[in-house]
Order: sequence, then C-alpha cells, then structure tokens
Amino acid sequence: MIQKKICMLGSFAVGKTSLVRLFVESIYSETYQTTVGVKVDKKAVALDNTEVTLVLWDLYGEDDFQKMRWSNLRGASGYLLVGDGTRSATLSKALDLEERVRKEVGALPFVFVINKCDLAQEWEIPASFEAETAARKWTVLNSSAKTGKNVEEAFLQLTRKMLG
Amino acid sequence: MADASTSRSPREPADEPSANGTGSLEELRHLILAPEQEALDRLQHRVANHKARTEDVSTVVAEAIQLRRQQGGDDALSDALSPTIETALRESVRKDPATLADALFPVMGPAIRRSILETLRSFLDSFNQIMDQSLSWQGLQWRFEALRTGRSFTEVVLLHSLVFRVEQVFLIHKKTGLPLEHAVAPSVATQDPSLVSGMLSAIQNFVRDSFKSAEGQGLGRMNVGELDVWIEDGPYASVAAVIRGVAPRALHDNLAETLENIHRRFSSELEHFDGNTAPFSAVHGDLARCLEFKYKQESARPGRGYAWAAGALLLLLLGGWLGWRWWQFHRWNQLVATLRDQPGLVITSFSREHGRFVIRGLRDPLAADPAQFVQKAGLDPSRAELHWGAYYALDDVIVQQRATAQLARPSGVTLVVEDGVLSPRGNATSAWANDLLRRATLIPGIRFVNLSGLQIAESAAFERSRKDIQNLVITFPIASAALSSAQMAALRGIATHLKFLFDPPDGHQETLLLVIGHCDSSGPEATNQSLSQRRADRVTLQLIQFGIPDRRLQPRGVATAEPLRPEDTEGDRQYNRSVTFRVISPGVH
Repeated sequence: MIQKKICMLGSFAVGKTSLVRLFVESIYSETYQTTVGVKVDKKAVALDNTEVTLVLWDLYGEDDFQKMRWSNLRGASGYLLVGDGTRSATLSKALDLEERVRKEVGALPFVFVINKCDLAQEWEIPASFEAETAARKWTVLNSSAKTGKNVEEAFLQLTRKMLG
Repeated sequence: MADASTSRSPREPADEPSANGTGSLEELRHLILAPEQEALDRLQHRVANHKARTEDVSTVVAEAIQLRRQQGGDDALSDALSPTIETALRESVRKDPATLADALFPVMGPAIRRSILETLRSFLDSFNQIMDQSLSWQGLQWRFEALRTGRSFTEVVLLHSLVFRVEQVFLIHKKTGLPLEHAVAPSVATQDPSLVSGMLSAIQNFVRDSFKSAEGQGLGRMNVGELDVWIEDGPYASVAAVIRGVAPRALHDNLAETLENIHRRFSSELEHFDGNTAPFSAVHGDLARCLEFKYKQESARPGRGYAWAAGALLLLLLGGWLGWRWWQFHRWNQLVATLRDQPGLVITSFSREHGRFVIRGLRDPLAADPAQFVQKAGLDPSRAELHWGAYYALDDVIVQQRATAQLARPSGVTLVVEDGVLSPRGNATSAWANDLLRRATLIPGIRFVNLSGLQIAESAAFERSRKDIQNLVITFPIASAALSSAQMAALRGIATHLKFLFDPPDGHQETLLLVIGHCDSSGPEATNQSLSQRRADRVTLQLIQFGIPDRRLQPRGVATAEPLRPEDTEGDRQYNRSVTFRVISPGVH
C-alpha cells in the first residue's frame, strides 16, 4: 500500500477545511487546528489501479495571531495550496507560501486551488497573479467547497504529480 | 638466472643501437623474443603505475589481512590499523556525529541494557527466592504492607504484580508521521491508524515547537486516565504503544529492543521510505509481540501464590471463625447446663441475640449468683444478658438455707431439710422447740417438722424454778379450802418463780402451770372431788391476785386420784389435803 503525507496550506479562512470536509475520512474536530495547529484527515485515491492513501495534514491558516508550524510540513510528499478567489491578498499570500515551502523543506509537488468559484462574479484576480502563476508553471484549479467542484480532481492531480 | 641473462640480452642492443649490419640480427631477435619482451614491458608498467598497483593490491588486501590474522600470534596488524581507525572515527564524529550515532544506535541500546539487566537479574533472583520462600505468607505480607503504608490493598497488589495490557502498537515513520505498521490486541476498538499516527506526530511537533526541545527529543509518554501512550524514538521511526493499566519498566526495554531490531533489519527501507508500506508488513510479528506483555513466569507466580494464600487464608479465617463460634456456643451451653443444675435456678430459655447470649429464668433469692458462674467459666460477662424472675424454690438445699436464715437457733443446733421435712439436730430448750414448731411451717417449702433429732435441754434457772415450784405443797385444814397466812406467804414466794417461768429471757412462753387440788380419802368421793377443785381454784385465784396471768394457770381437782402419800397416819392424811403444782412445757413432751 502506498501512503503519502500531504499538507493543506493557505491563508486563514480561505476554506481549506470546508473544501475537503466532504471528501475525507476524519475523526478529529476542527478545534485541533487551533490548539495543536493541525488536524489530520485521510483521503483514499485510486490512480491507474494504484491505491494511494493520502494522509492530509490540514494546517492552521497563518494569520496575525498564529504562525504556521513549519515543522508539520516535514515529510510531506506534496501539498494543496489554497487561495480565496474573492480576496486577492490570499493569492499573493499563496505565492509567498510556495516560496516559503521551497525554502523550508525544498520544492514539493503541489496543486494550487482557487476556492469559492461559486462566487466567480466576486472574484478579483489580478492579471499580474495569473501571469505569475503561468510563469511559475503552477497547476491551478478553480474549486468550490459548496459544489465540490474540482476537489477530487485536485487530489488526483496532486497524487499524479507526487507519484510521477 | 640463465633466463634472466637471456631476457636481459635482447634489451642491450636497444640500449646500444648498432649503426649497421646488425639489422637482420635485430629483426631475428625481435621475432624470437618479442612476446617475452611485451610481457616484461607490461610488468614494468604495472610496477611503475600507481593506479595499477593499487588495483592489484585491492584485489588481495582482504585476503591478505585475513591470512595475517589467521597466522595470528602478534598484534602487529591491530597495532598498525588502530591509529588510522581511531583517526577515522574521530574525523567522522567531528564531521557529523549523527552518522556514527545512527550506525551505533542498534548496538548501543542492547549493550547498555544487557549490562543493566545482568545487575538487575542477580538482584531479582535473590528477591524472587525470598518471595518464593514466603509464598504462603505473601498475601498476608501485602495486606500488612497496605496497613503499614496506608495504601489501599489493591494498590499494593498492583504495585507488586503490575497488571496491564498493551492494546495497540504503532510503528510510525518519523519524518512523515505515516503509520508503517500497526498491531492491535484482540477485541480492542481502534481509530484509523493513519489518522492516529498522524496526530501523534503532529502533537510531537507541537510539543517540540512549543517547548523548543531539540530535534531528537520528543514526547516520551502521554497519560489519559487509565490509558498510557509510550513513545520510543529511533532515528527514522518511532514505536508508540497504547497501554491500559500500569505497565512495568521492562516494557520500555521491549519497545526499544523491537525498534532497534526494526532499524537494523530495515535501515535502508526506513531511510528511503517513499510511502510504500508493503515491506513493513514483515514487522507485524515484532509489534504483536509487544502486545500482551506480562511478567516472566517466575514473577507471575507470586500473583498466583497470593491468590492461593488469600484463598487459604480466607478458608482458614472462615474455619477459625466458625470453630470459634461453635466453641463459644458450646461453652455458653455448658454454662447453661451448669446453671440448670443449680438449686434455686430455673432456666426457661437460652438464645443468641445480636451477638449476645441471653438467658432467661427464675431465681430464688438464696440461689447462687449466676453472674459469678459466667466469670468462673471464663466467659465475657459483657456478652451475657441475664433476666431472672423471683420465686421460692422448693429444693431442699434452698429450703434449708431459707429456714436457717429465718429461724434463730441456739448454737450447736443445725437445721436439715429433707423432702420438705425440717429436722433440727442438737440441744435446745423446749421453748425454742415450741417456737420452731410454730414458725417453721410458715416458711415456704417446709411441710412438716420432725423434732426427733432434737435433745431438749431447758435452762438451769428454768429447771431450778420448776423444781422449787413442783416441790411446794400447800396444805389445807380438813374439809376446807381456806389458805392460812403461812400458806399465803409460801404462794407469794413461788409467784416470783412463776413470773420467771412464764416470762423468761429465753422465751418459754407456752409454759403452763397445773394447779392440782388433792383430798384425803376420808370423806365421800363426790365431796372430795368438789373440795379438791375448790382448793385448786383457791390457790389459782390467789396466784392471779399475785399477778400471774390466769391463762397460764390450769386448776384441776383430782380428789384422791393422785395421793401424795399413802395414808398410814394422820400426818399422811394432812399431807394429802393439799394443792401441788406441775410445770408444763407444752409440745415438747
């Protein structure tokens, strides 16, 4: 059996937890995130006849009050980077986070997920950001925690990247 | 040597080349000696070439060292290698201590543990021996220890026998927090191992970050109520054991040993772990061995011994208690039997109520005190409850005591009661005997008085007075009942005696005086009868006048029936015309 540790990264309140809630097996409450700084969930993915168990470390979104525990990123095979389409600040934060990951633990496979695509009309994605992600060759998916759009896809793509 | 000179000769022309005429010879020599020359060139090249020489030596160096070691005898090889190895180790540690530490990790733990275990084992052996020898007393000792230390007995037993169960064992890859393998004890409810080991790792990170501990350090133990989580850390993986109860320290060793074993066998897989847990299914057995951890057989025996000792003790206590209870009851029964035999006691019931022995019955006031029997039997008086109703016993012994207590008696007189008959024995006056007759029958239990055993002996003064009175003869003139002044004086004289007899200090109250009138035989009998009666009446009257109570006096005329003397002379007749007295102590005679 293949198991992979992956992390969920993103600013505070971008909807990381909501995004995956319907798609993962979970036994811990969300209070763990605010106390221990992380909540561990599980997601089974089948890719080309290979069963992969993703152990998903849902990290507490960094904000003004609490820093992210970078030690939790150690040993991760990849990560989901999550931003909020309606808040451009979370997108630039995503750029920072990606750089930070490279610095802390080295380059890791990741998929960038822009959440809240159900509110696409309120999105404020600067052109510069799109250019930046294109330049960095990011895999970007628009998703919605409400509709579940692209969530499975995000896991699949990340798994493919990690195994590839 | 011939070969060598031969082989050297072809080279000479080369060193000193001839100008001419020798070309063909040279060619010939070349043709003949060329293969040998090439071999020589190759050899020379190898000897001169450092790299080639190194290659040559490398192929034989291991065998050479082995050969040298086999030849043995000297330490030259060790001596030669030691400085280099020491320098190399020092250099390795200086560069990166982790490398050597990781390499030594699997061997250091066992070495240290073995040393400690040896010391402990020798101590434990003697300790076990002591425990074995005192097996039957162990339960008692532990109980005593509990009393002495103020701990609960259960706690003491737990401290000694350490009952516990390892419910789950995780092998966790340290870097990723992924579970490599997981073993669960039967019928234990578990959560998803991936999630649990992930959170365990996250908590480790949390603790490390929060308290800024070094990388190699982490949470060794977590405790939640009855559950303990013990975590043993290795370079690449940790073992986490979930334990219910109190596990012995030896479990740490077992976990550490298991972890070291796994590191030794799977060092490469652990180091290069990429998420494939398949190879680690092989360690399931190692983890499972950590599950049901118990004391060794020798150490477990005291536990069983305790159970046996406790059982035996319990039986012993129960038997002892029952025996003691029976013995107590038996002794009280004996007491009751003794009381039943006591005259003046009637036992109506005997029972055990609320741990006390209750005896009910009737008791004559003169019967022996039952409480003294309780004490005499050595029984606890505080456990006795005695209820007595009063009654008069008809047992001879009691009746005899009662009579003795109620009847005053002269010294030397004893009272014996047999079958309700009171028999006084000894010497007593008739007055006392009379008194006894009157009073004895009022005493409960005395039906009848038998005086046959009593010797009547009146007092000397009484006898003297009686004699004086009975010797007195009051004479009268012929056919007259008149008293002369002389006779009157004689009567006054006996009045004093009579007062003494009738009202003496020793209480002869029933004494009577017969006043007997006599006649001589001269006149007709009818006249004589009347005359004698009148004489008796006259004297009686006179005595009454002198203060003698008339109920004590019984005048009786006997005419000539009891002559004092035969009438041979006038003097005899005169003597018979008289009144005499007889003192009667009634009832005794």
